[in-house]
Amino acid sequence: MMRAQPSPSSAPSFSVEAENDTLRLSGALDIRSLGNAEALLKSARSKHKIRSIDLGGIDVLDTPGALLLCTLHKADVELTAVRPEHRALLDLVCGLQLQRLPRPRKLSPWRESVTQLGKSAYAAWTDMIDVIGFLGRAAAAVGHAFIHPGELRLPSISRQVTETGVYALPIIGLLAVMISIVIAYQGVAQLRPYGGEDLTVDLVAVSVLREMGVLITAIMVAGRSGSAFTAEIGVMRSREEIDALNVMGLDPMVLLVVPRILGLVIALPLLTFFADLMGLAGGAIVGNVLLGISPLQYPDLARRAIDGSDLFVGLFKAPVFAFVIAVVSCMHGLRVSGSAESVGRETTRAVVKAIFLVIVLDALFSILFERLGL
Amino acid sequence: MSDSPRRTMRAPILSAKGIVNRFGRQTVHEGVSLDIARGEIFGIAGGSGSGKSVLLKTLVGLHRPDAGDITLDGKAIASIAPAERARLIGVLFQQGALFSSLSVAQNIMLPMREHTALTESQQEEIAAMKLALAGMPADSAIKFPAELSGGMVKRAALARALALDPALLFLDEPTSDLDPLTAAAIDKMIGDLNHGLGVTVVVVTHDLTTLLTLCDRVAVLVDRGMIVDTPDRLLRSEQPWIHAFLHSSRAQGAIEARKQNHGNG
Repeated sequence: MMRAQPSPSSAPSFSVEAENDTLRLSGALDIRSLGNAEALLKSARSKHKIRSIDLGGIDVLDTPGALLLCTLHKADVELTAVRPEHRALLDLVCGLQLQRLPRPRKLSPWRESVTQLGKSAYAAWTDMIDVIGFLGRAAAAVGHAFIHPGELRLPSISRQVTETGVYALPIIGLLAVMISIVIAYQGVAQLRPYGGEDLTVDLVAVSVLREMGVLITAIMVAGRSGSAFTAEIGVMRSREEIDALNVMGLDPMVLLVVPRILGLVIALPLLTFFADLMGLAGGAIVGNVLLGISPLQYPDLARRAIDGSDLFVGLFKAPVFAFVIAVVSCMHGLRVSGSAESVGRETTRAVVKAIFLVIVLDALFSILFERLGL
Repeated sequence: MSDSPRRTMRAPILSAKGIVNRFGRQTVHEGVSLDIARGEIFGIAGGSGSGKSVLLKTLVGLHRPDAGDITLDGKAIASIAPAERARLIGVLFQQGALFSSLSVAQNIMLPMREHTALTESQQEEIAAMKLALAGMPADSAIKFPAELSGGMVKRAALARALALDPALLFLDEPTSDLDPLTAAAIDKMIGDLNHGLGVTVVVVTHDLTTLLTLCDRVAVLVDRGMIVDTPDRLLRSEQPWIHAFLHSSRAQGAIEARKQNHGNG
């Protein structure tokens, strides 16, 4: 927003004339001339002992101006020749019980930082408990849904699969191609000095299938669908729709959370498989451009580079990531309280936490699979 | 209040001529005209969906009508610079529209900070006065909108609408969602501010008590047009909708209140 600086020409005229113990004010005493007026009155009062102020020449008076006059009035200065149209305003403003605005309590920076640290640690601890608790409740609700398949909301699951899966296909495909191009260029550059640039095909195929395909897909979905989950549920929370469900004896967990979890658990592995294919296609393009491998030759080379466990390792992680993303973002949606600001804050937290957990889990999986020799 | 000294025959502060508002094929206003005199309390009433809110948005310049002219303080409303318009018009929105990331005091000081050259301490003094004018305790100044009750939200939003001492105050349903006691307190405050500050008030409301006890004149939106008259003459109106509106079982209390108010002077 542009800050409107009142130019001197637009400031209304205000003047003060001192005569013995009387000040004669004239012109406009309003919010625009207030700064000037306050300074003029202060200097006049420092020079003379003022007993009364003549307001006959004041033609514009507003509440800030009246407030200034009332402060003087309370300091035993008489206000004379008040115009009838200003009388009601002065009566109203002088009659107010004015108090100073309270100031928010300020702590010293040291204390502030120590308390902040403590608060953050406590928040992180309760947050962890909340996540674990919510994971358990969500798992129980999903398990219950599997035992009683009649209660599954198939239409809403299929809508979630469409929203989170089908509509994400173009962006995921594009990203997968881009990522494999990045890896392939690095591979060629690093392996060429050793004469091993042909191994780039292996590098791209293995890293896309085991890691990159699923990781890029999970991060994209966390940003795209996780934020949507939090915002949708959060807005429902702030408009009391969640309370309405509870009152009607309907469990938001069953109605809102379970379909989102199952939808994402179905969609993310499929998206990952699609990302794997597109990643390999990207590898084929770079192989053709940089290494002169014909697109017909490429599948054969790629098949020799990978084995079944590479694909399995990638796809195995997808539903786990999907579960975590959906649970975290639904949990934050249900945590929204009232204000619109809180929807934004919880959405940010949900996305950050979901991506963080996805990467942490991926690291743990790497260790696990290495131990298992997969 | 109708013999207030400020009620002079000067040019109207706001005048609308031949306002037409259409949404798709639906015509909401068909050639609506009105003049609002300085210092009066002007009510706008009408059934749900009769276009009260659209009219309010049109009058404050938020909505450009399909046809018609609006003159504010002698100038076409579209030609007035935003900073100048902010000094002329204050609006109390129905839900308050307080900025949720700012405290009450910061909400009130925002227009002063942007449009005047006052120092921080002057702004704080003025904000404290506006809070007192709106009948809020000073310790609520550091609260955030989410911590306020419904009545307090209206008061805080009114204090913000008054921040630059506007000549014209628009109130959108100032007493909706409030209990009758709080609503009566808000009504009284509007009357006091009108009398004390000399501010012209345009109030859009369904509240019959507000319309009949507070307003000098009332515009009723019926059949895409508008009927403007004093509450007394509207009470005698033969127009079917107005008659039903003002003589329903819910209106009896408001009519009693009007008699009492006028009986006591």
